[in-house]
Amino acid sequence: MAQTKIPVDLILEKLAQSAEETQKRVSRASDILLSPLNTEAAVTPYDIVYSEDRIKLKHYTRSETAENKLKTPLLVIYALINRETMLDLQPDRSVVQTFLKSGIDLYMMDWGYPTRKDRYVTIDDHVNGYINNAVDYIREKNGIQKVNLMGICIGGSMCAMYSALHPDKIKNLITTVTPSNFDTDKGLLHVWMKNLNVDKMINSFGNIPGDLMNFGFLLLNPARLMIDKYVGFTENMDNKDFVENFMRMERWIFDSPDVPGETFRQLIEDCYKRNLLIQNKMYLDGKRVDLKKLTMPLLNFYGRFDHLVPPEAADKLTSVVGSKDVEDVCIDTGHIGIYVSSKAQKQFAPKIVRWLRERDKEDAPRQKAQTKRKSEVELQKPAVESRAPEPQNIQQPSLAETGTKTGRPKSPRSSRSLLIQKITEAI
Amino acid sequence: MPEENNKSKEADPLFPSWLKASYEMWSKAAQAMPSFEEDGQKFQAETSNRFVEQWQKNLKLMKSFSKTMSEPESTAAAINAINTLPEIILKMAKSGWEAGFKTQSHILEKMGKIGRRAEAYKFDNLDQEVFRALTDIYEKELRQYFYIPQVGLTRFYQERFNEMLDKKNLFETTLAEFLSIIYLPIEKSFKVFQERLQEMAQKGELPKEAKDNYALWVKILEGHYMSLFKSKEYTDALHNTLEKMEDFVAAKNDALRDILQFLPIPTTKEMDELYREFYLLKKRVKELEKKVKAV
Repeated sequence: MAQTKIPVDLILEKLAQSAEETQKRVSRASDILLSPLNTEAAVTPYDIVYSEDRIKLKHYTRSETAENKLKTPLLVIYALINRETMLDLQPDRSVVQTFLKSGIDLYMMDWGYPTRKDRYVTIDDHVNGYINNAVDYIREKNGIQKVNLMGICIGGSMCAMYSALHPDKIKNLITTVTPSNFDTDKGLLHVWMKNLNVDKMINSFGNIPGDLMNFGFLLLNPARLMIDKYVGFTENMDNKDFVENFMRMERWIFDSPDVPGETFRQLIEDCYKRNLLIQNKMYLDGKRVDLKKLTMPLLNFYGRFDHLVPPEAADKLTSVVGSKDVEDVCIDTGHIGIYVSSKAQKQFAPKIVRWLRERDKEDAPRQKAQTKRKSEVELQKPAVESRAPEPQNIQQPSLAETGTKTGRPKSPRSSRSLLIQKITEAI
Repeated sequence: MPEENNKSKEADPLFPSWLKASYEMWSKAAQAMPSFEEDGQKFQAETSNRFVEQWQKNLKLMKSFSKTMSEPESTAAAINAINTLPEIILKMAKSGWEAGFKTQSHILEKMGKIGRRAEAYKFDNLDQEVFRALTDIYEKELRQYFYIPQVGLTRFYQERFNEMLDKKNLFETTLAEFLSIIYLPIEKSFKVFQERLQEMAQKGELPKEAKDNYALWVKILEGHYMSLFKSKEYTDALHNTLEKMEDFVAAKNDALRDILQFLPIPTTKEMDELYREFYLLKKRVKELEKKVKAV
């Protein structure tokens, strides 16, 4: 008797089994969802040491037990989209805590929530106003000439602008998932922004609503961000840790402040449409931003699967600056995964700590050999990668598919952490 | 018609008699009222007010009018006019009805065209053509009603309100088109998914787990979305929807401003002006502060 091509009996059996498991899972999930959940993000204590208008400067207290404390403080400038809490999303995946444990004196800019009265605030006000004032505050407080500066996404672009205009105040510059070359069609955002009628948008809205931008980001990958993410949640909602982490991420994603109208206008017109920054043609308050004046050491991170700031938008910076001490680091992850994925936790923050430590001694000679360009660095694996590498999601297969491809059953915990990682990579 | 003429002629002797009686009545009424001339200043001081003055004038006017009408020439002309009155009324009514019917038939004719315009589109090829057709119908056939010139004191308010309704309709039609485009990959992915399942069934490789089926479908869906998002049609639809939304928001703000003006609430425009001044002043103060500090 020939074997049937459609194993109906097996399929039905699996369906029955799956229905039973789902029923149990829903029952367990209801207990979890009805119980108190710890979904608070950014729990690392800090002091507000400086404030101006809506912005606040956070100062974290570094670990007293940390060895080899770095002398130069680090100021982190987050993007104007979403919030800086992402760097301290959950205790076991916190860039902030890694920095503090490693002895970094950490300051972070909280841009706050712009209101209608902020609609005329420009990029110049952010760069030469708020950032400059924060840098001056740190310099004065610590009695130093220069600080270390790290920027995230558009915050990185602003850091590059600031460092070019005030090179005398910056010791080391770190840019992460930072767009500098906007003339690429690799990222959908770059394609969509090209024809945006930004004037009309600002006339209608004043500031650009965070919800509108979030909707745009969801549209970048609706299959993953609007369907698969929640399917993954229902599959794991009987796990308290997972639910708490998922909710932290969910809260962070939709905690999106509006972007000041004039800032958005300049960002779209000068950067996305005319690509002025990388050509050294951008002006802030009448002063030209010349990237050749970036003579300080530069470390540039970007994500290989970043669809918001694709590698083509991020990897040109090191080749146009005046500094000889530059390094590109490409991590196999997405735009947010670089900060929160378990893989990046081992690569990203520890690499920054090492890099800064090497340059913390003021008298340390500048090593010409340290000049590394993209091609070299991508081939070179960081020391932490000597551990067993995690599977690379080049095609970004779904959770179920990944689980079966390896040929070995994945433990529930590993598949759960993989799901979180996939979510972060999809963002 | 001859009968009607006879009836009119029968009315002839009655009309002069009525005019005569009317004249006598107004004369008596005028006499019955104490006149200024008769009672002099005393009466005037006691009773003179605007109402009495007007009443006196009206009585005098009616008296003189009745007197004039009682003259034979005037009576003859009036009789003549009465005889032709039905004809005049009929003419007026006829022209009024004709204008009404014309307008109605014009509207009906236009409404009849609404469906016909859609014939130009080939609905079989692309589903979103339906939405484009609807937008086109709205823009060419219905939209103009929101722009009928308004008159009077409230014209500007009405115009802004109508514009808001128009922009809302335009936004909704483009949004419908955009959503239909967004839905396309879902529809297509199910078709492709079914084909894949069919192929796998023939090979005996049908997934046994529901999760595997879902993973396959979501991967297909993702692929379709990526293809769609890179297409010019999608980008155009996205920008068009955004622009229509912005138009609606701006029109809504304008209409709301009219309402806010009646309330003790500042409008967005007023606040924006204030914010701008505030922003510039603050910037100057900060610069001056820095200069003072540097000195």
